[in-house]
Amino acid sequence: MGDILNVSHLTKRFSGLVAVDDLSLTVKERQIHTLIGPNGAGKSTTINLITGVLKGDTGTITFAGKDISDMPTHKIAQLGLGRTFQNIKLFGAMSVIENLMVGAHKNTSQGIVNFLWNTKRAKDEEEKMRAHAEQVLKQIDMYSHKDDMVNELPYGLRKMTELGRTLMIDPKMILLDEPAAGLNPSERQEFIQHLKDVYDSGIDLFLIEHNMDVVMSISHYITVINFGAKIAEGEPKEVVNNPEVIKAYLGSRFKAE
Amino acid sequence: MKSRKNIIGIVCLIVAVILPWLFNSTYYLSLFGQTLINIIIVFGLNFITGLTRNMNLGTAGIMAVGAYTSALLSTRLGISPWIGLAAAILVGFLIGRGLGYPSLRISGVYLSLTTIAFGEIVRLVLNNTTSVTGGAQGLTNVPVFSIFGFQIQRGIPFYYFLLLFMLLMFWISTRIVRSKWGRAFKAISDNPDAAESLGIDIAKIKILAFTLAAIYAALGGALYGNLMGYLNPSTFNFDFSINFVIMLMIGGIGIVRGNIIGAIVVTMLPELLRFLGDYYQLVFYTIAFIGAIKLPQGWPAGIVSLVKWVARKTGSKSRKEG
Ligand SMILES: Nc1ncnc2c1ncn2[C@@H]1O[C@H](COP(=O)(O)OP(=O)(O)O)[C@@H](O)[C@H]1O
Ligand SMILES: [Mg+2]
Repeated sequence: MGDILNVSHLTKRFSGLVAVDDLSLTVKERQIHTLIGPNGAGKSTTINLITGVLKGDTGTITFAGKDISDMPTHKIAQLGLGRTFQNIKLFGAMSVIENLMVGAHKNTSQGIVNFLWNTKRAKDEEEKMRAHAEQVLKQIDMYSHKDDMVNELPYGLRKMTELGRTLMIDPKMILLDEPAAGLNPSERQEFIQHLKDVYDSGIDLFLIEHNMDVVMSISHYITVINFGAKIAEGEPKEVVNNPEVIKAYLGSRFKAE
Repeated sequence: MKSRKNIIGIVCLIVAVILPWLFNSTYYLSLFGQTLINIIIVFGLNFITGLTRNMNLGTAGIMAVGAYTSALLSTRLGISPWIGLAAAILVGFLIGRGLGYPSLRISGVYLSLTTIAFGEIVRLVLNNTTSVTGGAQGLTNVPVFSIFGFQIQRGIPFYYFLLLFMLLMFWISTRIVRSKWGRAFKAISDNPDAAESLGIDIAKIKILAFTLAAIYAALGGALYGNLMGYLNPSTFNFDFSINFVIMLMIGGIGIVRGNIIGAIVVTMLPELLRFLGDYYQLVFYTIAFIGAIKLPQGWPAGIVSLVKWVARKTGSKSRKEG
């Protein structure tokens, strides 16, 4: 299996602060790769750099064999790199299904002029988008909420909507920034199951996660960063027994048996 | 609910069809015609200011360019007003592009100022190129349309022509708003970060919204020339641009049906308030201002929730009494 994502010597400074410090990591195809580290370690910044939201000071990033270091965010997404946000970012004025349908926009081909006169094709395209959204909503058990306004949904379902929306872009890979944060234990179990299903459907995952139960149950590979720099990486069992990781991050919070 | 909305729509349409026979005078028919044109222009503004939330205070300027393009072609070169209409679409397209690009770099107040500047430049140019546009004297003898050799005379025939045109634009606008385009317009203003993360090119969508708005305004301008038969730069002033934004706000931002109501209210209200004389502007802008603050969802939605509130109050009271 090749690499799907490659980050090489990535550095990002915010005025004085080095948020990401000469970070290199490789995500292999067909793996769930987790990034862990203390608060403020630079995890979200790393995802923002990969997705082009922030521009790195140095370093290169390749995704699916393409250099995306200088690409704008929407181009990167068009290559099939989806993401969710640490603070959920939904379209508040729209319903659940409309949120998902925005995710399908990039995969449609009809231009506005053709849309205006070829009403038949426009209708077909719209119906295809809707059918796709409905199928994804069924997959994530949210079909019964399809016409709810997202602002009126409870937190857990808003997170799920965001996952559904990024599935709509037909991603090769999804970056998830703390997907289980703020969920209660049963919601968390459900979310993990959905993530596993997403992974089984052929989509590679790269996630940031604090909850070590989640990390251990889902990850194939873990990278640990502290102060923006990588301090360890490897299989879950190796990583949690690494003294430096225990000192910097896990402390007494997690003991591997 | 849906069928009730359809019934209201059909009733409105019937009223619109018999209206010119009830108020059959040059004055009223011109007023109704202007209302229909304003409705079309607000449909366009709805894309850029309503859905993508970019303030456009240059609508009158765009309208003027459309109006003069069409009118100059027909009065100076004898070209059919139909071609003038097509030319207005073309200049609308170009203006939309031209105004869309700065909107990628500037936003908020600065973008508003840019659009104001555009409108003022247009007016100054029209005023000062006397040899072509007639300057402050204006342009007269703008012709009417012909279909199969029959002229669509000003008055009732042209009213119906404009009504059909408005309905066509209503249909187009509704389709756009309810499609992937409408969702993309809303998405880029609602949460641009999320929109980008889904592969949406914000620049492209924003320029599209500007272009649609400009095409609608230029078309409206061309029709305005045909309706009035004469053009004068002073018509297309800053107040006029502001009025379009007020129409949009009154009808409820982003709502196509609301656009119609907003345009009717703002175009007709001055006539209803005419008895106030010089105080009319004060009263009009006060009403619009209070509406903007108290009914941010627009008047129709505000009135609906008011009615519901009253119904709930009286309902609970009668329940208590009973
Ligand atoms: N846009 C920004 N401007 C300035 N500092 C930032 C910005 N984003 C993040 N930081 C800082 O960079 C560091 C890493 O932040 P972040 O990547 O959000 O950490 P986390 O690992 O908790 O996700 C923090 O010290 C944070 O305050
Ligand atoms: Mg974070």
